[in-house]
Amino acid sequence: MSDEAASAPVKLFFREAIARALAEEMARDEHIRLFGQDIGAFGGAYKEFLGLFERFGPARVRDMPVAEASMVGVAVGAAAMGCRSLVSITYMDFLMLGLDPLVNYAAKARFKTAGQITVPVVVKATLGAKGQGVAHSQCLESWLMGVPGLRVVAPSTPADAYGLLKSALREPGPVVFLDHKRLFPIAGDVPSGEGLVPIGSAAVRRSGADVTVTAHAAMVRVALDAAEQLAAEGVSCEVIDLRTLAPLDVPTLAASAARTCALVTVEEGQVACGVGAEVAARLAETIGPLPVARVGALPAPVSSSASLERAVLPDAARVAGAVRRLLRQRGLERA
Amino acid sequence: MIYILTVPGPIEDVEEVRVLEWHGEPGRRFEIGELLVELETHKALVEVRTGQPGMLRRILSKAGDWQALGGALAVFSDGPDEALPDSADGLASIAVDFEIS
Repeated sequence: MSDEAASAPVKLFFREAIARALAEEMARDEHIRLFGQDIGAFGGAYKEFLGLFERFGPARVRDMPVAEASMVGVAVGAAAMGCRSLVSITYMDFLMLGLDPLVNYAAKARFKTAGQITVPVVVKATLGAKGQGVAHSQCLESWLMGVPGLRVVAPSTPADAYGLLKSALREPGPVVFLDHKRLFPIAGDVPSGEGLVPIGSAAVRRSGADVTVTAHAAMVRVALDAAEQLAAEGVSCEVIDLRTLAPLDVPTLAASAARTCALVTVEEGQVACGVGAEVAARLAETIGPLPVARVGALPAPVSSSASLERAVLPDAARVAGAVRRLLRQRGLERA
Repeated sequence: MIYILTVPGPIEDVEEVRVLEWHGEPGRRFEIGELLVELETHKALVEVRTGQPGMLRRILSKAGDWQALGGALAVFSDGPDEALPDSADGLASIAVDFEIS
C-alpha cells in the first residue's frame, strides 16, 4: 500500500469502524479470541462483528450462551492463560453479572502476582437508552471508574471507536470499551493507517471561552448541539469529549477549566457518584474551587415509553439551561 | 419532464446512507415497481423501486458514495431526448416505493 493510500481516511459506519479494528488486530495478533452472544455467523447485535467469523473461524470468534458471568469468566481465564480476549456484552446492564471475574480477578491479577500474571481482556459493552426499557438502557460506566487496574474508554466517533479499540487490544491489562446504541447509525471518517487513539487522552471538540462542557459517548453530540444553541446567544462553550473515563485526562480538562472558570458535566447516567462528579472533584483538586453544574439522567429508571425515556435523558435544552444558570450565578457572585 | 431521485425517507435513526448498487446504467427505462438502487444504512438495506415509469439519465451518487436523507441520487426523464438542466435544483421528485430489510 502506498503512503498516500495509507493516509487517506475512509468513511465508515460506527459498526464498521469496530469490525475493521477487530479484523486488523486479529490479523496482527494471532492470540486474539472473541467471545459473545450472536457474534459469529449473525455478525453481532449491531453488525459490528460482521465478516469476522467467516474470516477467522469459530475457534477465534466464539458464540456464547446467554450467561454473562461465564462469558466474562471464560474470557478473563483465557487472557490469564496467554490469549488476548475480547468479550462482548450486548447490553451494559448485564455486565453486572460479569463484574466478579472482571473486578476481582482481571483488574487485580497484575497487583496480586507482582506482574507475573497479566489479563489482557477487553470487555466491550453497549451503553444507553434506545426504546428498550429499564434493564437494557443503563449507563453504569461510573461504577467502573474507581476500580484500580481497570481502564474505561467510551468513544463518540467512528474514528475514536477504531483507534481506542485498537489501543485497548494492545493493553497489558483489562479495558472496558463502551460503545453506545444511539451512535451506531453514525458514519464518519476513519484513518486508513494505524489510527491508534491513546487511552487517557480527551479531545477538545469545540473551542470556547466562557464555560467548559465535558461529555462522553452519545452525550458529546448533545453537548455540541447545546453549544451551538448557546453560541447564538453569545455564550462560548468549550466542549471536551472525555473519550477515556479511567484514567481521566485531567491535564486537558484542567487547562480548559482554568481558562473558562466554569464547568458543566454531561452524562447519560445518574449524576450521583457519576462521571461528572469525578471530573468536578479532580478539577477542584487540581485548579481550585470552580462553579459546577452536573447534567445527567433524572433519578428514575429509563422507561419503555418513548416519551418517558425522552423525559429522563439529558437533551441539548437541559444542557443549555444548566450552562445559562451557572453563568448567571457566576455573574451574580462577581457583581 | 425531468425528475430527481432523492434518498427516500423517513428511515428511523438514519441520517446518511451509502449507495450499494445501481440496477441499471443511464439510458435504461424503468417500468413501475422495478428495482432501481439499493442503499445501505447502519443496519439495513433499502430497496428503492420506481413508482412511475421513467428513464435513468444521470447518476449523481455512484456506488460507494454517501448521501443524506433527501439528498440527490439520480436524474430521470419521461423520454430519452429531453435536455437535462445543468442544475438539479427545483426538479420534481420521481415517485418511488422503498422497502427496508
